[in-house]
Amino acid sequence: MTEISQQAEPPVKSLFESDLRTRRRNAAETRFRLYGMAAVAMGIFALIFLLVSVLGNGVSSFRQTSIELQVTLDEAVLDKTGSRDPEVMKKVTTIGYGKILDQALADTLAAHDIDVSALTPKQLSGMKSDEAPRRLRDLVLADPSLVGQTITFHALATSRIDGFEKGRVTMESAKLDSNISVEQLEVAQAMKDKGLLSMPFNWGFFTSADASELRPEAAGVGVAMLGSLYMMLIVLVLSLPIGVAASIYLEELAPQNRWTDIIEVNIANLAAVPAIVYGILALALFINFLGLPQSAPMVGGLVLTLMTLPTIIIATRAALKAVPPSIRDAALGVGASRMQTIFHHVLPLAMPGILTGTILGLARALGESAPLLLIGMVAFVKDYPSAPPAGLMEPASALPVQVYQWTQRADPAFVERASGAIIVLLVFLVAMNATAILLRRRFERRW
Amino acid sequence: MNLMQTPVSDTTALKPRITASGVQVYYDTNHALKDVSVNILDRTTTAFIGPSGCGKSTFLRCLNRMNDTVASARVEGKILLDGQDIYDKRVDPVQLRARIGMVFQKPNPFPKSIYDNVAYGPRIHGLARNKAELDEIVETSLRRAALWNEVKDRLSAPGTGLSGGQQQRLCIARAVATGPEVLLMDEPCSALDPIATAQVEALIDELREQYSVVIVTHSMQQAARVSQKTAFFHLGNLVEYGDTQQIFTNPQDPRTESYITGRIG
Ligand SMILES: Nc1ncnc2c1ncn2[C@@H]1O[C@H](COP(=O)(O)OP(=O)(O)O)[C@@H](O)[C@H]1O
Ligand SMILES: [Mg+2]
Repeated sequence: MTEISQQAEPPVKSLFESDLRTRRRNAAETRFRLYGMAAVAMGIFALIFLLVSVLGNGVSSFRQTSIELQVTLDEAVLDKTGSRDPEVMKKVTTIGYGKILDQALADTLAAHDIDVSALTPKQLSGMKSDEAPRRLRDLVLADPSLVGQTITFHALATSRIDGFEKGRVTMESAKLDSNISVEQLEVAQAMKDKGLLSMPFNWGFFTSADASELRPEAAGVGVAMLGSLYMMLIVLVLSLPIGVAASIYLEELAPQNRWTDIIEVNIANLAAVPAIVYGILALALFINFLGLPQSAPMVGGLVLTLMTLPTIIIATRAALKAVPPSIRDAALGVGASRMQTIFHHVLPLAMPGILTGTILGLARALGESAPLLLIGMVAFVKDYPSAPPAGLMEPASALPVQVYQWTQRADPAFVERASGAIIVLLVFLVAMNATAILLRRRFERRW
Repeated sequence: MNLMQTPVSDTTALKPRITASGVQVYYDTNHALKDVSVNILDRTTTAFIGPSGCGKSTFLRCLNRMNDTVASARVEGKILLDGQDIYDKRVDPVQLRARIGMVFQKPNPFPKSIYDNVAYGPRIHGLARNKAELDEIVETSLRRAALWNEVKDRLSAPGTGLSGGQQQRLCIARAVATGPEVLLMDEPCSALDPIATAQVEALIDELREQYSVVIVTHSMQQAARVSQKTAFFHLGNLVEYGDTQQIFTNPQDPRTESYITGRIG
């Protein structure tokens, strides 16, 4: 004992000073932390930039300028026979309603002492949207008893006046614009001062179909939303059962050999194939070979199904793999058959993973435009498709394609529409991804 | 080490339930089990001992054809249950496993309620005609697994929420519930603390009165405590098989002696 304690003691190391190696390691850690924070900051910046630009451009599309008019629904024009029968009244076209609206516009302006002498009758009539007579006609046909009355009607203003209200159109730009004149804007300003212009919530944006180049104020995403919904239904109904069945077969039942390896590699490859290639495939197979109609949600749904299947199969196989083998042993050990083992134990445990994968696959399909362009979904669709199943074969549009189409148009009013449609699309995507996250949280694996 | 606790019981009068002869198992080219022949007696606890990787689990899994689920495994030889070849083409392994129950090394209750864990086997085999009968089966199984008093008030609680020892006893109850004739246990106590181990061992002793129990164990003390027959495996061979007392006091093979005295393994 004494001998040992007499040996030279090692110098005492201070705990309060770090040595060179420790300092280097700490510096490396600090650097790495900074890189990480910089990367995250860039991501957040990009996201904020995207949101600000989309919201900045698009939010205004949810409100639309309209002109408050006192409209006298003249029986002599609208229902000559006095029958109040919508079938008979249908003979009066929008031209007839347009004349009534022109009259109402002139009367209303006169009643408010607004001087319109600088405007030609055509310019005066052009203050309102060409869509306004159609809406008035729909209103009257839905309720023929209105004929003969004087009603307050909010007529859609033309997109230039809407732009004037939203700051997009100015007196300067009007001088160069053949669609609007400075005089018209001055009248609009006077109407605004008298409180005749209002900007209510734009329900039409969600219920209307696309409109022509000349009537951006009437364009909406209704048909595109319905088309996207139809396609998502087809994708869900087809790809979930097929994908899950294929995964169960590959993961639980198929012998593990060269063939299943090849299939596995190819499924991974399919998941990486660019969407446009699926579009070419669909064009060749569904439209040219099978003769299905162009622009139909059915075809769009089929091609998106093909595109989504590999994603779902990969997610499902991962979810099945994550179920511990001990659960399978337990079930087989008490004499469950393979099918019972899969359906009673493995599949329920894998379900959250499967659903998460499916929703993410659906979200990707919802935002996909390239394959839809190739199968003719760029067509201008003015009418709603009917209810499924027949409606699945009728032309429809899709949200991402609608965005693409609107960004192609010259009129700046469509930029606002495109951004509005992007917002709608983003809301759907965020909702779907949030559902996926919720599902994952809710059914966190418990074993 | 007190190896002398083995209850002295005369096993000569008992008839064999399982007769294995010339069993060979290959995993691809790995010859994991070489020419194993052994009789598993009725109402007896048989212990399989031996160093890791010597093929104890492999042989155990042959007895209820769990090896069928391993794609690379190939089994040769004959294994008879009450004189019938369990590897015969006409045998449905699913039916066989209802008669030869199994308890695994790691407790593996289903992530369902305690009740459903035990009731699952009887349900899929149609052992109960109504809810009352099923309740009855669940209760007796849990009682036999010495778990009833601990869980009777929370049968609908998840089985995965129990402690490790309770989970293993739940797995035993689950295996017992299908009314098996043979119970295979692969190192059932390796994940358990001494108290839980003692409970499971007491349970094995009780079960032996009706079933034939086969237990794989790493602990020689455990083998000595619970078994009447012991089989010693080494490198895929069944080296020695005999009365537990004889194996531990008077081993015939030098390899057995080295193992139980702690020189190999
Ligand atoms: N599923 C399997 N696939 C391939 N080889 C296996 C498998 N299970 C066991 N083996 C091999 O068989 C031999 C015996 O293993 P095992 O029976 O588990 O031994 P023990 O249970 O005695 O520790 C070992 O060499 C092991 O590597
Ligand atoms: Mg083992």
